[in-house]
Amino acid sequence: MGIPFKKFKMRRYFFVFFVIFFLTSTKITFAQSSYVLPYPSAMPGSISYKSHILSEELQKYWYFGNFGQFYYNLKQSDKYLVEAKTLFEYKQYLLGYNALLKSNEYFIKINPFLIKAKIEGKDISEKSKILDMASQKHVEILVQIEKNTPIEFVWTPEKSSATKLLLRKSIDDSISVRQKNI
Amino acid sequence: MKKLLIYGYCCLLFFFSFFSYLFIDPGLLYLRNFYTGFFSENRLVVIILYTLFICLFFLTYYLFIKLVRSEKLPLKQIFLLIVANVSILLFSYPAILSFDIFNYIATAKVAFFYHENPYIVMPYEFIGDPLLLFMHAANKVALYAPFWTLLSAIPHLLGFNNFLITLFNLKFFISLFYVAGAFLVWKISKNIYSVVLFALNPLIVIETLVSSHNDIVMMFFALCAFFFAFKKKFILALLFLFFSIFIKYATIVLLPIFIYMLIKYKSGEKIDQQNIFLIAAFLMFIVFLFSFLREEIYPWYAIWFLTFISFLPKKKNLVVLSTALSFGLLLRYVPFMFLGTYFGLTPLIKVCVTVIPVFIVLAWSLISKYAKKYN
Repeated sequence: MGIPFKKFKMRRYFFVFFVIFFLTSTKITFAQSSYVLPYPSAMPGSISYKSHILSEELQKYWYFGNFGQFYYNLKQSDKYLVEAKTLFEYKQYLLGYNALLKSNEYFIKINPFLIKAKIEGKDISEKSKILDMASQKHVEILVQIEKNTPIEFVWTPEKSSATKLLLRKSIDDSISVRQKNI
Repeated sequence: MKKLLIYGYCCLLFFFSFFSYLFIDPGLLYLRNFYTGFFSENRLVVIILYTLFICLFFLTYYLFIKLVRSEKLPLKQIFLLIVANVSILLFSYPAILSFDIFNYIATAKVAFFYHENPYIVMPYEFIGDPLLLFMHAANKVALYAPFWTLLSAIPHLLGFNNFLITLFNLKFFISLFYVAGAFLVWKISKNIYSVVLFALNPLIVIETLVSSHNDIVMMFFALCAFFFAFKKKFILALLFLFFSIFIKYATIVLLPIFIYMLIKYKSGEKIDQQNIFLIAAFLMFIVFLFSFLREEIYPWYAIWFLTFISFLPKKKNLVVLSTALSFGLLLRYVPFMFLGTYFGLTPLIKVCVTVIPVFIVLAWSLISKYAKKYN
């Protein structure tokens, strides 16, 4: 006895529905880190931005010690990455590009302070984990930025010469800087 | 009789020091040989003994006050009592009622041993540090103002990285501020009664010389500020007031008093010391009452207003009420000692034991007032 035609049709529909449901309800994601980045703070051009820069300079001395410098550089690197992301989203490529360079500058400084702390005999295992999670999160954000950013951009300000920004290369460099810590 | 009282008081100090060692934390590896476990196994006995000690402290305090009022206790003997307080209680175990002394040590260690900013880096980040085995606020950054952190470098550096030496250095260091505070009370008031009210108040004695709270340091600098203000040296007065503020912030409320005194001085008017101390005591009492907004009202915060009340021996009601409150505040430890938890019934009982002595005193004074009226 074969399966009645109507029953077979029902099963086929159910199978198709199941496959479609499975494909639409799952989404491809990147490896996500539980590390939390800060909210965007003041953006270049705003009145409070200069005071933020001043506070950043002063904090450099307040965050003394190798662990202190670890926190300081990570905090600044996070802040500038978020700033770069926001500026890229608003297509402010020159400002975003500069923010990304600053984020990299701070990020590069983090690990040497951890090494110094280790030489001093401090246990850096927890800090290394934080840095690893931060690096993963940064890469995650950079990959997102890269998708919506042109390979290069020519910035032509009023009354001065144009600047060619190699945006994609800059983002790739930023990713490789962070991947060294993963 | 007086000699017996003095000897009895010294014995009380000695036995209280001995009693304090029943509270040693099992994690405190440096004093492991002294750990008995008595406190956790005999809570009822411990609270009975503790309450008895507190009652005896207040009884002797009352008798000393009586002796002073009948002019039978000269300054020399008060000085000897202060020396007895310091020299006997210096060897008491400090973490019987609070663990703050470990926080002071940890903050100093983060700053001056690990060379990290204690306002950013927490003690628990130094994995493997033996302090983590017994300190109770390892997950907090420094709680006190920077001048205190700076001062704590002295006992830390003189401790040469030895925990026990650092611990007793810190106790001795804080005791010095107690002695200096008593000396300033004498210098400002020239009144033996004021010195006794300050230096022999059981709350000030226990919280300063046993638990070693830095509140006495803050109040010492505040007293220095008043001393110089009364001598019309306002720059020095403000400097010492800022030192005081940067120990624990609470004395910031005294700033308007100094501005008021400066205005009075500039206009050539006389400053009434009694009024000044009354306002200071009132302002510090307000800060004390509102300290629950930060965490809770801790007994040692009473040092803030008790210091100024000691200058007001003529305000008998105020002295009696503040003494009753001191008694109630020292009883706040009993519920935790007995129940072993900060939750459940403990907060309610703490409030009750704090306010009941004050209400009893108020009721007693009202009854005696009406009794006098009708007689």
